[in-house]
Amino acid sequence: MDYDALAALLDESQCQSLSDKLVDLILTTKNDEKMPSALARRFLHLWQQNRLVTKPGLAVLLEAGVRLEPEKTLTTLSELNLGILESKIKEDLPK
Amino acid sequence: MLKFGIEFVPREAYWKIMHYVIQAEKGGFNNLWITDHFNNRNVYATLAAASIYTERITLGPGVTNPFMVNPVLTAQAVATLDEMAPGRVVLGIGAGDRTTLETVGVAMEKPLTAVQESIAIVRGMLNGESVSFQGQVFKTAGAKFLFKTRRIPVYVGAQGPKMLALAGRIGEGVLINACNPKDVELAVQSVKQGINEAGRRQEDVDIAVYTAFSVHQDIKKATKAAVPPVSFIVAGCPPELLQRHGIDVSKAGEIREALKANDWGRAFGAVTPEMISAFSVCGTPAMCIERVAELLKSGITQFVAGSPLGANVREAIRLLSHEILPSFKT
Repeated sequence: MDYDALAALLDESQCQSLSDKLVDLILTTKNDEKMPSALARRFLHLWQQNRLVTKPGLAVLLEAGVRLEPEKTLTTLSELNLGILESKIKEDLPK
Repeated sequence: MLKFGIEFVPREAYWKIMHYVIQAEKGGFNNLWITDHFNNRNVYATLAAASIYTERITLGPGVTNPFMVNPVLTAQAVATLDEMAPGRVVLGIGAGDRTTLETVGVAMEKPLTAVQESIAIVRGMLNGESVSFQGQVFKTAGAKFLFKTRRIPVYVGAQGPKMLALAGRIGEGVLINACNPKDVELAVQSVKQGINEAGRRQEDVDIAVYTAFSVHQDIKKATKAAVPPVSFIVAGCPPELLQRHGIDVSKAGEIREALKANDWGRAFGAVTPEMISAFSVCGTPAMCIERVAELLKSGITQFVAGSPLGANVREAIRLLSHEILPSFKT
């Protein structure tokens, strides 16, 4: 899935709340082992630079969310009325 | 000015702990303490990662012990860490926990002597000396590093009066394992006694109080998060300490038995509000500010918010950084 393309669909006004919710979701997951090490490093690097609310940051958070908690990520997108992102991710998830 | 420290237990994936570490540094904490327990992630691997992801915060084990890790290796670990985070490393060292040591078949012999000797060895090694030491617990015969090192401040983890006094005599800092103003006041007196015995100045010793801390806007959630650590503290408490706080000794015995039987429901259910108050700093941000202010009157110079921090760690760090720390950093 092209997470950069997904993040590019986001309106600036949606970035803060989505970033907050995805970070919470990622930090409270029990599926730690599903986090690829390279993705973990990108996540931390972007957090260090206060860039988790930017489009590259949201791309990383979306990827982490989908890998660690796919169902909860879809629910979050739905709650935030981000139906386009929700449907694109759904299309790509294994049935 | 009061310093603020934060403790993390590396029981979660490293990247989660690092997220919290970065958040703590951004939030204005001065010190980062990582616990050293064999059943969690390794303290020095965690600190090495923290040294890479931070730029300012002072960091160190809080606390290691000389029974599980030989002092020569402790010196090696902190010296290596000091290369990664120059001038930002401290060493927290104490006697360890007897029950935990027994689990791995290690005897806790002469804890006071062991801590004192281990600090002497660590300092000698960090000074670049060839250390030949003939102690009652530890012996070395010309141990010397093949790389350049320098002195690193040592904090003694202490609870009893003798260890507290030792910290005052020889430590650059002390990590007092207590939460209640009554206990902290008595502990600080013991530290000051040691300071006076050694003819040192009080400002030479960073007196840190290391607390079980839990904050949340909803007091029920803060209390619920504090119950598990408090149950373990109560179970391990000497009777005189329980009595000082008016806690029924038999209740503590019940909790101890329940914990031994892994009956968490019974153990946690027996924790009372008096126990929470005696052995944790817990509540809403305003309540925590009040308790920290009370502790400050004892003469402490660092407040360490330790595990569990709160029902949600990220939210707890946010509350600490934005609502609690600013009250004391004017």
